[in-house]
Amino acid sequence: MSVKTILHAIRNTFRAIRSGELLLRIRADKYYMHIMYLFLLMWMTILLSLQVDKTLARVGDNKAALERLRIHHAEKEAALVKLHSASAAEIRLRELGSEAALPNEPASVIKSK
Amino acid sequence: MREQSEIKDSIQNRDRIHVVMFFLSLMFMVLGGFILAWIIKIQTTYTVDSSVIGLFRPVEQKHVDHPVRGRILATDGRPMAISAPLYDLYMDCTVRKKDYQEEGKDSLERAWRNKARELGRYLSAEFKDRSADEYANMILSGRQKGSRYLRLQRNLDLSTIQRVRTFPLFKEGPYTGGIIVEEHEERIYPYDSLARRVIGYVKEQNRIGLESSFDTELHGTEGYEWRRVTDNKRWIRDLDSAAVKVKDGNDIRTTLNVDFQDIADKALRAQINANEDIRAGICIIMEAKTGAIRAMVNLSRGATPQTTLWERENLALREVGEQGSVMKTVTLLSVVEDGYVRSLEQTIPTNNGLVPKYNQDVHILDYQRETGRRAISVMHGFEISSNYVFAYLAETYYGKQPQELFDHIYSYRLGEAFDFDITGLGKPVVNRPGTPGWSGTTLGTTAYGYGISVTPLHIATFYNGIANKGRMMKPYLVESIEKDGKVLKQFVPSALNESICSAATADTVTRALRAVVNSGTATRLKGAKLPVCGKTGTARVVLNPEERGGSRDPYLDAYGRKKNQGTFVGFFPADDPKYTILVTVYSYLSSKSFYGGTMPALAVREIVDKIYALDSDWRPELHRVASVPQMKD
Repeated sequence: MSVKTILHAIRNTFRAIRSGELLLRIRADKYYMHIMYLFLLMWMTILLSLQVDKTLARVGDNKAALERLRIHHAEKEAALVKLHSASAAEIRLRELGSEAALPNEPASVIKSK
Repeated sequence: MREQSEIKDSIQNRDRIHVVMFFLSLMFMVLGGFILAWIIKIQTTYTVDSSVIGLFRPVEQKHVDHPVRGRILATDGRPMAISAPLYDLYMDCTVRKKDYQEEGKDSLERAWRNKARELGRYLSAEFKDRSADEYANMILSGRQKGSRYLRLQRNLDLSTIQRVRTFPLFKEGPYTGGIIVEEHEERIYPYDSLARRVIGYVKEQNRIGLESSFDTELHGTEGYEWRRVTDNKRWIRDLDSAAVKVKDGNDIRTTLNVDFQDIADKALRAQINANEDIRAGICIIMEAKTGAIRAMVNLSRGATPQTTLWERENLALREVGEQGSVMKTVTLLSVVEDGYVRSLEQTIPTNNGLVPKYNQDVHILDYQRETGRRAISVMHGFEISSNYVFAYLAETYYGKQPQELFDHIYSYRLGEAFDFDITGLGKPVVNRPGTPGWSGTTLGTTAYGYGISVTPLHIATFYNGIANKGRMMKPYLVESIEKDGKVLKQFVPSALNESICSAATADTVTRALRAVVNSGTATRLKGAKLPVCGKTGTARVVLNPEERGGSRDPYLDAYGRKKNQGTFVGFFPADDPKYTILVTVYSYLSSKSFYGGTMPALAVREIVDKIYALDSDWRPELHRVASVPQMKD
């Protein structure tokens, strides 16, 4: 392809742009569906991106809720464990006026055979 | 003509459209060219002014995730140390003050103050430490003085802080209500002081116990992620940036039995509280077959008897001292194992309790007076804990080769600080031949417990070796490292010395230890619910120069007072030992004496009786003697 041909093509393109006929000359109507498809893709990308943001925000909320539950669990566990010692049980029973105390003898085991 | 005129008009009309289109196209082309040139400029030469550079960058923050520290569990899985955040509550009393000071907003200021009074009522009802008026005055005077950081409460739990957030004024948030909540991770010890010295803590430079030794496992690793703001002003993770996932710490499952620890703690407290002269007490309960430590209590009072008993220092590991008569078992085991004493009934002459170079043993004079005999059996010498008998045995059998006895001592691991799960095990001091501390009487004094300084853990480990028929197990505190209940690493019992003596020797020495309880210095344990065997030891503690106050005797101060330590160490049940137990009490400077056969033995008895009632191994079995007829359909 000679330089002259290239220059001619550029000049034609420039003229077509100037007269607003470029899309008609290159037969862009053939690609109408492709152009629409491209717009659809762009729209979906934006929509999905917003959805991802929304999901990530929900993930953050759930993480915070889980963390709160973990803390609750640790606090309740500590409170319950505190009561789960022989001394704590004895003190509590005394406070309640009970005479129950730690056994002096081990519990018997019933064997069926 | 008319047609020509119409054609002319049409051509002129089209030319005008062309001209308009041409200028429009030209305008767009110039604009396009300008944009293109601008893009090239930005990409090549343009630099953004540093004052506005922030506006060009996406709003992002690096968020560091701190790991949750692993838990320390008892052997049955009960948590002994867990992590949870606590919250400090502050208030910015000056919030919206300037806005409300503007003209026409007095009513808003009055409303804020009324809400503050209402908040005072809620805070008073919640915390019950101040009246409603006191709280209200605090807040309002803080507003007057311009206090931006008024402390209201510290170390609140999550449930409380969630309730507080719903209180009047506070529910309006930080920008109107002035609520400031600061979170800090705290370690919770549900059993308070129980085993606190073993569990330990990590606070900046202060690091002790298992928390320190296993810090790498417990701590976990920090993670981070970059966060960006969404169009709805929400912070979310930026998926395009790098992120490292946080890894929470692993759990440590210890060998400690909470019930045993509780029982030992209570028994020891009772003994120490009953006597103001007692400074501290320790208790070690070790499983005979494995060396697993089931309880380790370290209670001490502090400088004066008025201070509360607390786990202040790990004396069981660190207190290196002369242990007194409990060391006689070391000598007995050695002479029996070496075949010098073939029977415990073998006798030696009493010699009025005198071994040349050593102090006279008055116990022997009493023995001679009461029995009229001039010979004493090794068994009886052990029962009454005679220093003479053991100095005599050492001088007679090891006098020419003292190293032989010291070789035994080293084989019993009493001369070294072996590896242990908690750092800081005291290094024993042994005055063996050739060392500066060696003198003409060191052999004999070592034989009855004064020439060698070890920790209580060393003594308990040695006695555990006898209970385990000569196999000396390495004491340990950590069973496994776990993650969410799954075992990552299991620690198995190991031996420090596979055989410190033959099984026959261990049986012989066990018989002697049983005699100490039945008719010797530990008869307070005679009626315990499980047969116990062991040895008492009473030792005077070497005083430091300050305590001595000019006294020339290293064991006495200027007023003739001394520091005592009394020990009982043994194992139970005597016929098939399951646990080894050691209890030692330490006194302040006192003119009284404290013996291993009194307070320590009483504490051991209480512990043994309670363990008997709790441990499933000694549950009696009831067998079915009758059958219940089956119901017919």
